[in-house]
Amino acid sequence: MQRWTFHIALCLWLAILAGFKLLIRPPMPASVLTIYMVLVTLGIMIFVAANEARFQAFLAPLKAVFEGRAPKLVQALVLAGIPLLAAWGTWLRTAPSYDAPFEARVVHPQPPLAMQLSGKKLNLAGLQNPLRANAADLDKHTVEGKRIYYQNCFYCHGDALAGDGHFANAFTPIPANFRDVGTISMLQESFVFWRVATGGPGLPKGAAPWLSAMPVWQNFLSEDEIWKAILYIYAGSGSTPRTWEEAPKK
Amino acid sequence: MIPRIFLIAALLASSAFAGDAPKMKMESVRATPVAADPAAGKKLYQRWCTQCHGDEGKGDGPAAEFVYPRPRDFTLALYKVRSTPSGQLPTDHDLFKVISEGLPGTSMPAWNKYLSENERWQLVHYVKTFDTLGLFKDEAPTQRIAMDSPPQITPVLIARGKELYQSKKCWECHGKEGRGDGNKADTQKDDWGFPIRPVNFTKSWRFRGGDRIEDIFRTFTTGFNGTPMPSFVDAIPAAEDRWALAAFIKSLARPQKTGQVLRAIHRDGDIPADPYAKAWEDAEFVDFPLAGQIILDPRWFKPAHDVITARALYNDKEIAVLVEWDDGTYSRGDGNKPADQVALQLPVTISADEKPYFLLGDKKHAVDYWRWNAKDGLARFAAEGATRMSPRETGALAAQGGYKDGQYRVILRRPLKSGKEDEVPFEPGKFVPIAFHLWDGDQGEEGLKMSISTWYYLLPQPKTPFTIYLWPLGLGFLALGGEFWLIRRVRRKEKPA
Repeated sequence: MQRWTFHIALCLWLAILAGFKLLIRPPMPASVLTIYMVLVTLGIMIFVAANEARFQAFLAPLKAVFEGRAPKLVQALVLAGIPLLAAWGTWLRTAPSYDAPFEARVVHPQPPLAMQLSGKKLNLAGLQNPLRANAADLDKHTVEGKRIYYQNCFYCHGDALAGDGHFANAFTPIPANFRDVGTISMLQESFVFWRVATGGPGLPKGAAPWLSAMPVWQNFLSEDEIWKAILYIYAGSGSTPRTWEEAPKK
Repeated sequence: MIPRIFLIAALLASSAFAGDAPKMKMESVRATPVAADPAAGKKLYQRWCTQCHGDEGKGDGPAAEFVYPRPRDFTLALYKVRSTPSGQLPTDHDLFKVISEGLPGTSMPAWNKYLSENERWQLVHYVKTFDTLGLFKDEAPTQRIAMDSPPQITPVLIARGKELYQSKKCWECHGKEGRGDGNKADTQKDDWGFPIRPVNFTKSWRFRGGDRIEDIFRTFTTGFNGTPMPSFVDAIPAAEDRWALAAFIKSLARPQKTGQVLRAIHRDGDIPADPYAKAWEDAEFVDFPLAGQIILDPRWFKPAHDVITARALYNDKEIAVLVEWDDGTYSRGDGNKPADQVALQLPVTISADEKPYFLLGDKKHAVDYWRWNAKDGLARFAAEGATRMSPRETGALAAQGGYKDGQYRVILRRPLKSGKEDEVPFEPGKFVPIAFHLWDGDQGEEGLKMSISTWYYLLPQPKTPFTIYLWPLGLGFLALGGEFWLIRRVRRKEKPA
């Protein structure tokens, strides 16, 4: 067993690298991967070097190559492989890249305290969906909201509210997926109302307002219609809004 | 609208005719694995389908007016994608496939992402209940077309398919190069009297029945009920020939190659003015997906175009962008229809952390707007939003464009730098935001009724300097040197012993 120490160490190293590369989604940044692999290399080396016999067994195959005792083919592969790997590794780091510049963008920006709605000021703090007050009419409003959604929103946000409508692939950032727990279910309805009513151009600068294809819905829908559509996107995606009571106190 | 009685007569006649005509290999229809639960089916249908297909299955839901093609009207039981002969009803498995996988090139999504298998089967059963003629009761298909496994695709097979494409006159609708631009292309109507366009064979992502060779073969064999696309079983009786035609159609398809950056490659000589020149054919292309302009009034829900393809080249003096797009109709503003157009949008100045609003800029950030029109040629605007567009001198900006075999190719070129502040300078290695707008005059597109893209980048790619190869070479040789040093050392140590 001990005579295979080097091979086992190499295989372990490669297996861990493959695991990091293939199994972790979304892929980790290259800099993080480098740190992890340095730690993995150190770990393996410390384990190997901790025991003199193990260390000698680890070095044996390498010595065999450099001393010319290993089979000719293995010698050639190793001796040619090391400079090629070094060159290739360097090339990967120095090769010019023409990827699009990275643009930081805040996905859920801090909402303002108040917004303009058709010329009047609307306070967002503590704002509730007024249509939820009367439970008896809630179903009627949601049905109406469904019609509004499918005449205005589903081209991008999709039939199943998953952000994958037939226009979705033409826009970056991609339309919000309302089924995702990271979107409307973690937001208050007042936030959603602000995002719907003021659209992409209403975003603060850090959220790249020039990129979002979200229309300014107060130009097309009444205040009431926006609230109805919001009722539907929650009902349709099976999520519930975050409420003001649950919100952390500041 | 065609009177319904006529449709019914036509349907009955065609299905009766289809019964004895084709000499196709048939097989028994597979059993439906899930029994109907009408209450469950109704609930699911009302929850997920009525927005397009309507409460009564007439294809008249609230969204129906806003999508192309129109949602299916289930009441006449006419279905395109089937495994049964022309004029016949689909099998339950056919309906299940369409509900599960969706219809490419339409707004019908693939429901297998959202609904369980059992739920999708309930929808199959429920959709059949809208059949007002009772056809599914009386004529439920018991046989379907048996398909052999597809032959090996060879150049010979494709050549044979090309001959059939000519001799069977597929080009009358689908065009010489298959771009949906045949001379009969713009007069086609479906059985409901709505205009319908033949498919563009290069855009395989829009093939309703799917774009595998088996799917294309099936479409020739069964035809698309309710549309002008007939079954070719009578015209091309031999299955081998239909496979050849399918192989040819498949060979026309080009998958989309999207990207964020349009890289202009440096050339030492002139940039050719001929869009078919080899330098252009060799230049890397990027497909930029487009959507309807549904952001500003008037909103445009049924855009004619879904993609624009661009290539770019530059030399020491100028940069040129070649845009190409398929259009089945060459509209030069004759009659009362507008002319076809394309526009490129760039910021006027580049800021490190801000861009103009992606749709025609905004008050603080103007865009430079280059528009080429099939009738009037080039026009240039400065835009600070859709309502603040002012014409400007084209200056050294130039455009030449043309239309051939269902495709436009337009070259727009400009000196790299003017030295003035009213246009963005191009420098190797500097990214310049770019966006595209496209209009099909034949579909009434003009003004804000257009297809739009989001912001992308145009990059004059720097010439690769020789020095970037030095580091890898140096480190490779260093490693090699290290090896030799080690070898000599260990072998010298060995010898005295």
